[in-house]
Amino acid sequence: MEILTGFLDAVKGIFYSSGLVNLNWQNYAMIAISCVLLYLAIKKQYEPLLLLPIAFGMLLVNLYPEIMSPPSVELLTQQQADAAGFNTAGHASQVINGVTYFENPTYGGLLYYLYQGVKLGIYPPLIFLGIGCMTDFGPLIANPKSLILGAAAQIGIFITFTGAIFLGFTEAEAGAIGIIGGADGPTAIYVTTKLAPHLLGSIAIAAYSYMALVPIIQPPIMKLLTTKKERSVVMEQLRPVSKLEKILFPIIVVILIAIFLPDAAPLVGMLMLGNLFKESGVVDRIAKAAQNELMNIITIFLGTTVGATASGTNFLKLDTIKIIVLGLIAFCMGTAFGVLFGKLMYKFTGGKINPLIGSAGVSAVPMAARVSQKVGQQENPGNFLLMHAMGPNVAGVIGSAVAAGVLLNVVG
Amino acid sequence: MQLSALLPMLTAELSLAEKGISSAKVILTGFVVVFAVLLLLIMIIKIYSAIVSKAQSTGLRTKKKSAVPDKPKSAETKVKIVREQQPAEAQTDGIPEEVIAVISAAVATMYGGKDKVRIKSVKKSGSKRSAWANAGVIENTRPF
Repeated sequence: MEILTGFLDAVKGIFYSSGLVNLNWQNYAMIAISCVLLYLAIKKQYEPLLLLPIAFGMLLVNLYPEIMSPPSVELLTQQQADAAGFNTAGHASQVINGVTYFENPTYGGLLYYLYQGVKLGIYPPLIFLGIGCMTDFGPLIANPKSLILGAAAQIGIFITFTGAIFLGFTEAEAGAIGIIGGADGPTAIYVTTKLAPHLLGSIAIAAYSYMALVPIIQPPIMKLLTTKKERSVVMEQLRPVSKLEKILFPIIVVILIAIFLPDAAPLVGMLMLGNLFKESGVVDRIAKAAQNELMNIITIFLGTTVGATASGTNFLKLDTIKIIVLGLIAFCMGTAFGVLFGKLMYKFTGGKINPLIGSAGVSAVPMAARVSQKVGQQENPGNFLLMHAMGPNVAGVIGSAVAAGVLLNVVG
Repeated sequence: MQLSALLPMLTAELSLAEKGISSAKVILTGFVVVFAVLLLLIMIIKIYSAIVSKAQSTGLRTKKKSAVPDKPKSAETKVKIVREQQPAEAQTDGIPEEVIAVISAAVATMYGGKDKVRIKSVKKSGSKRSAWANAGVIENTRPF
């Protein structure tokens, strides 16, 4: 009989600790959403390297919310400890109102500890290190004017900030939402962790979704704002850039930006360090490690833990919908301003610049540049805009990091 | 009531004018700073590109000048090369010609075109490790 009671108690205990009792409807809705995202990542291959870990992190936290819970300390009296079968020997104690309490520490969940890299702003700069190792700033050095397009595409960030303020968000929250327009995942995460950490899940998911949707969102805006003649412009071939110029570039950029805008230094500094690893040619092993092993490991941690911030109660709010809509506006504005400045440059250079490369000023590297190439080729199959678009594209990475620095400085 | 409790209420109740001022401040600062920094970068890139290309072109010119009196020397080298192009047959240890060609190309790539290199013999290694495993060992044991 005793065995049967013990068995029933154990089964009851397992049942009461299971998700069937503890999960609410929001968790189930998020489980469904994460399954849809997993489908998009695996079947449709929308940014699978990020969407897959994000979706799985989302799934895990909604199935087992304790996986993100912080460590805590429970205070027990001697009687409570005895009742719970807790051995007080070796545990710290404190006396409150004449009663001795023993500390019973509970450790945090796995993803809570991995999330510290996001919370403390460590992962995004490390991702930038890897991106720096993979980026060729040659097209930008050959045609420095493309930096203007990289700056123009950031205007969307600041205009969306206004929209967010008027929709009732605080200044800090509005800054974090606006940065989605930079189309740069690590920058968006970095700024959000500093300005509005409670919005991290929705902002990261919005930022990465729009980056994945670049080929769908950008072409209609590009075609709407340009004429057939402008889209058909064939640009002159870029001059070759010497190795010395490529080596000097990251050093000069980091000195300049870190002096004038120290808030952007962690992101730009790591980006340029990675680039110097690549261009110097003397630390091949480190460059390889930074762009492969390190970046892959950080991507796993970043993706999974960012996904894990999207627990049902946090994510299923009206604010999330507002953020997703505002993010889309920011992204479209970034594209539009890039193209409009491209048109300006087309006029000033007497038709030498194809305005389509302006849309690549949003950073999403190299997807945005590929879109410029594709739309250009639809008008003239013999037109190769890719290398010309890479200039504004990498300028966009620097531009969004600078914009992030401005936001952190002004509203942080 | 504590001040910290008042703060969220205050921020939540920004008036329309305050919202407008705050937005205008961010738009203006953002626009001006982003453009100013990137325009400064454009200027600096242009300046240093000009300096680097000038330095490199003068470097090339001096190299060309110094190369003129060397002409007879280079003629001698040519002769030498011609002589060296008829070496004794290398020992190939029964390795197929295609493999020898690949090894020669790899050696030429590593030493560059300037150094004169002659392969005297190619021998099969006694190691039981495959070429890929060897490459892995070299990659992981090479010092920084």
